[in-house]
Amino acid sequence: MTTVPPTQDAVPAADAPRVAHSLFAPDKRTASRNAQESRFRAYGLVAIVIALLMLVWLLFSIFSAGLPAFRQTFIEIPVQLDAAVLDKAGNGDPVEMASVTTIGYGKLIGRALTAELEAKGIDIGEMTPKDLVGMVSENAAADLRDMVLADPKLLGTTVQFKALAHGRIDGYFKGRVTMETAARDNMTSPEKLMLADKMVAAGLMEMRFNAGFLTMPDASDKRPEAAGLGVAIIGSLYMMVVVLCLALPIGVAASVYLEEFAPKNRWTDLIEVNIANLAAVPSIVYGILGLSFFINFAELPRSAPIVGGLVLTLMTLPRIIIPTRAALKAVPPSIRDAALGVGASKLQTVTHHVLPLAMPGVLTGTIIGLAQALGETAPLLLIGMVAFVRDFPGAPMSGLFDPASALPVQIYNWTQRGDPGFVERASGAIIVLLVFLIVMNTAAIILRRRYERRW
Amino acid sequence: MSLGLLFLTVLALAAIGYAVGRRRAMASAGGDMRKLHSLPTFYGWITALGVLVPVLAVSLVWLFAEGFVIHNSAITHIDMAEVTEDSSVNLMMADVTRLAGGLSVLEAAGTDIEAMKLDIEALKTALGDAGVAMGNDPTPGMISAAEAVRTTGKWSRIGLNVASLVLALAGMAWGLRRITPEFRARNATEKVSLGLLIFASLIAVATTVGIVFSLLANTVHFFSIYPGSTFFFSPTWDPKFGGGSTLGILPLVWGTLYVSVISLIVAVPIGLFSAIYLAEYASRRVRGIVKPLIEVLAGIPTIVYGLFALITVGPLLRDWIALPMGFGNSSSTVMTAGLVMGIMIIPFVSSLSDDIINAVPQSLRDGSLGLGATPSETIRQVVIPAALPGIVGAVLLAASRAIGETMIVVLGAGAAAKLSLNPFEAMTTVTVKIVSQLTGDTEFSSPETLVAFALGLTLFTFTLCLNVLALVIVRKYREQYE
Amino acid sequence: MKDIRLERDVQTETNKIEARKVQVYYGTNHALKDVDVDILDKTVTAFIGPSGCGKSTFLRCLNRMNDTVASARVEGMITLEGENIYDPRVDPVQLRAKIGMVFQKPNPFPKSIYDNVAYGPKIHGLTRNKAELDEVVEACLRKAALWNEVKDRLQSPGTGLSGGQQQRLCIARAIATSPEVLLMDEPCSALDPIATAQVEELIDELRSQFSVVIVTHSMQQAARVSQRTAFFHLGYLVEYGETGAIFTNPKDPRTESYITGRIG
Repeated sequence: MTTVPPTQDAVPAADAPRVAHSLFAPDKRTASRNAQESRFRAYGLVAIVIALLMLVWLLFSIFSAGLPAFRQTFIEIPVQLDAAVLDKAGNGDPVEMASVTTIGYGKLIGRALTAELEAKGIDIGEMTPKDLVGMVSENAAADLRDMVLADPKLLGTTVQFKALAHGRIDGYFKGRVTMETAARDNMTSPEKLMLADKMVAAGLMEMRFNAGFLTMPDASDKRPEAAGLGVAIIGSLYMMVVVLCLALPIGVAASVYLEEFAPKNRWTDLIEVNIANLAAVPSIVYGILGLSFFINFAELPRSAPIVGGLVLTLMTLPRIIIPTRAALKAVPPSIRDAALGVGASKLQTVTHHVLPLAMPGVLTGTIIGLAQALGETAPLLLIGMVAFVRDFPGAPMSGLFDPASALPVQIYNWTQRGDPGFVERASGAIIVLLVFLIVMNTAAIILRRRYERRW
Repeated sequence: MSLGLLFLTVLALAAIGYAVGRRRAMASAGGDMRKLHSLPTFYGWITALGVLVPVLAVSLVWLFAEGFVIHNSAITHIDMAEVTEDSSVNLMMADVTRLAGGLSVLEAAGTDIEAMKLDIEALKTALGDAGVAMGNDPTPGMISAAEAVRTTGKWSRIGLNVASLVLALAGMAWGLRRITPEFRARNATEKVSLGLLIFASLIAVATTVGIVFSLLANTVHFFSIYPGSTFFFSPTWDPKFGGGSTLGILPLVWGTLYVSVISLIVAVPIGLFSAIYLAEYASRRVRGIVKPLIEVLAGIPTIVYGLFALITVGPLLRDWIALPMGFGNSSSTVMTAGLVMGIMIIPFVSSLSDDIINAVPQSLRDGSLGLGATPSETIRQVVIPAALPGIVGAVLLAASRAIGETMIVVLGAGAAAKLSLNPFEAMTTVTVKIVSQLTGDTEFSSPETLVAFALGLTLFTFTLCLNVLALVIVRKYREQYE
Repeated sequence: MKDIRLERDVQTETNKIEARKVQVYYGTNHALKDVDVDILDKTVTAFIGPSGCGKSTFLRCLNRMNDTVASARVEGMITLEGENIYDPRVDPVQLRAKIGMVFQKPNPFPKSIYDNVAYGPKIHGLTRNKAELDEVVEACLRKAALWNEVKDRLQSPGTGLSGGQQQRLCIARAIATSPEVLLMDEPCSALDPIATAQVEELIDELRSQFSVVIVTHSMQQAARVSQRTAFFHLGYLVEYGETGAIFTNPKDPRTESYITGRIG
């Protein structure tokens, strides 16, 4: 028989008073505790509501500022390409014609506008042809010049020219510019705005869907109406391709090694901590690395997609390795044992059995990593992508070394410009970026839901 | 031969190597696959790898070293006396590179380069016509440097092409020679593959080494030309173009900490209470909808938050709070950036806390509920104290994220470095200054540019410590319950 | 260790808890069917039966712990001293101050020993000042036969005790609110034989102040410790009666099969 310590005291010391209390009678203290409970619960709900409201506020603010960017005011008029102005020598020599600057073409546009307005019976009051040119975007003359130089046979004919309206006119129709601000503005005037109204009524000017926002290259400071995302989208696309081609194989290879082959010792533990840290390092530090190594040491060209791609690859690598390792770990050991038991080598086991089963998790992690890379701005700023880029980069592979921009950098660039028209552009660009991200994340979620297995 | 073409040629050679190797293996076994040690495909693979791996390794090193070598060959041609006062060696070298490119363009267009080189004016006009913009006029020294760039570049590329092709063919020959029926092709292939896997893993390590090295090297350089005591203790940040700047980190650290503290004040209560509600009170359906929505906040790029701060939150705070109360008249303030950053890090706190709260065993909750405690008492007095280390870890990680954030502060907090208590004033942070100093026009080896590396090292060290601390705490906490 | 006592003297015959036609559903699964039983005051009642028979489920009905399971639905009537505990006017929080529970695996809070025991009285506001609380804590630890072992280290963490000590701590914690009924769900299954003996000794002493309902996997333990026994099988309460009678002269053939080891 075991010795059990004797009961401590024969008579128990003071007891907590036993309240003989009906369960039906509510206790005052319990009532206050329940009130506390409801309050506490309410705090939680309020917190969630606040968080979600912030999200809604953010999206609403961006969309309301950015959606107007997809519609733009256009003027369509016939323009007489007078040979007397454009080809003074009269011999159709392209080099000679190239010496005619945009001022000459601007004159033609002025003439065409005057003629058209007269034809439609619109009174232009005191406005000179030069004033009328101010109704059109400053880019229009350059566009016309490019059109003629590309096809000199147009000389002497009359072409139906579609030009962007001036940024301030466009702003007037979108509510940014009013008669009061126009009076103080040196780029427009109330007369021009009233003329614009008349032109819209006559069908010469209209607001249309602006596909050019997505395809045109960037434009200079005074021409927000002509600024587009073409170069930025191509640049971002190139970089994503570089990241995908580099980060995915390297990431999977590293994960496979670390998860399946590496011995479990202090060194591999250190590598694991290292990778977890790299995933949390501020992105600007990767920019510094890119600047020091890729630009200064390896002398790769600044602002090129290859450099941006390489920097983003290094940044995305830990973000691919971590979910890939988790996916590999989730495959049960019984499958590995089965393969080894049949006589497959370790590498064959991994490539034929484990990796295919882990693929959904790997791809999900990759897509999410790519989505995060698409939105990164700070490291790209440091490798020189702030510059204004007007020319489209060439085709790969050499195109990867041409200067380009990227979506988030273009957005940043536009926020730094003075013209308020660029705020609309920047917001519109954010909408484009968010659309890409939504597509990518939805793809990742669908992939996860359909193919991920729960072991 | 362009790089792309070279790459494709090597790939083609590798493919040929694969086919030939395979055929050779089958031939050596007299057509009977069973006599071979490994499957024929492995003989093909080992030959192809023999072509690819040496070429890729050498090319990679060559390409990275090429820039370095070209730079050095050109520098010797530049007469130091030619470096004008408002220029620098680096700017000159940039010009030299452009000049070299321009000369190549002119040559391709058929112009007589030799004559041009003697007539600088003609050269200038020709370059202008070709669309090559130069910072300074070409000097004889620069011209010879540019020629050195072109020549070295040309020879380097020729060398690369030759070396690659030679290596490829040699690799193929060597691979083919080894093929016999007894040759363990599969083992050899797998060994090479394993080597490639290890190489991939080392890239992650190399990244850290690269980061530390690039930060340290340039920081050491910085401290050799600028007093460390001023950097660490001066309360003024005033970079001046051309020297005489005061570069004190204190106002930047103050700005960083101020913004981060405000963001944590916003994010921790909201995030923690959201996590508590989702973990303890919400039904599965509500949880399934709300949790992903909150995670969306984490997926939005920071530039979007930056713009949001710039065009919406900043003016709102200024017009409704700062101006009426006389706190300030700027829309780019610490409060703006802190608020927006707080919104961004809500999901960091909420997601991690949610996981941690869920990890607390149900038996503890049952014990408390069984005693007649209300759910909120259980949460406050049992669950949260049990989960506290994990929650602290989550908050530390969120803080680390806030400290390292760049775009929100660039757009939302402004660039004025000052030490002030008023949150409605513009103050700047470490990250903003890193960007501004590295994207400015100052020469690379001036203190004004190098200070960015010192700032970067400070930032990196600080966030590293926070991350490691958070990781250790969360790991210890997980061990306790698993 | 005490031998099986065939004659038990029960001090009172009043019903503390009465259950009538209790059904429990987990979703569509009808887990507990038509349970009718009376739990007597100042008595140890044992619930026995094979795994999955519903005894733990029924135990958890008695203090409405099943409320915390989303898919559980309870029908029928359970009264504590005449008051239906499932009445909408009843707050489970108050109920659980009157009916305490000890769980299978000891689950002390990650707090000090003192705070573990003081938790219940504190939240229900049962004491007026610290001195009273100290007295209550000491009394409960004494009743749980733990006082001498921990009186010098009341501030050390409760999780630092041995398994048997932890379970006694949980018992002390449960009785600190002076409940009228103490529910115990296989309290000894995670303990070694010596600790088990200590806890069984404790149960026998506690019955002078509380009704104790104990779910147990071990028939021998039920025989040692209880005065009344209820046998559950496949969700039904098959037989209920004096412990001695159940074990020596069961009325239902299923009971006999279980007792003799043919099922379970």
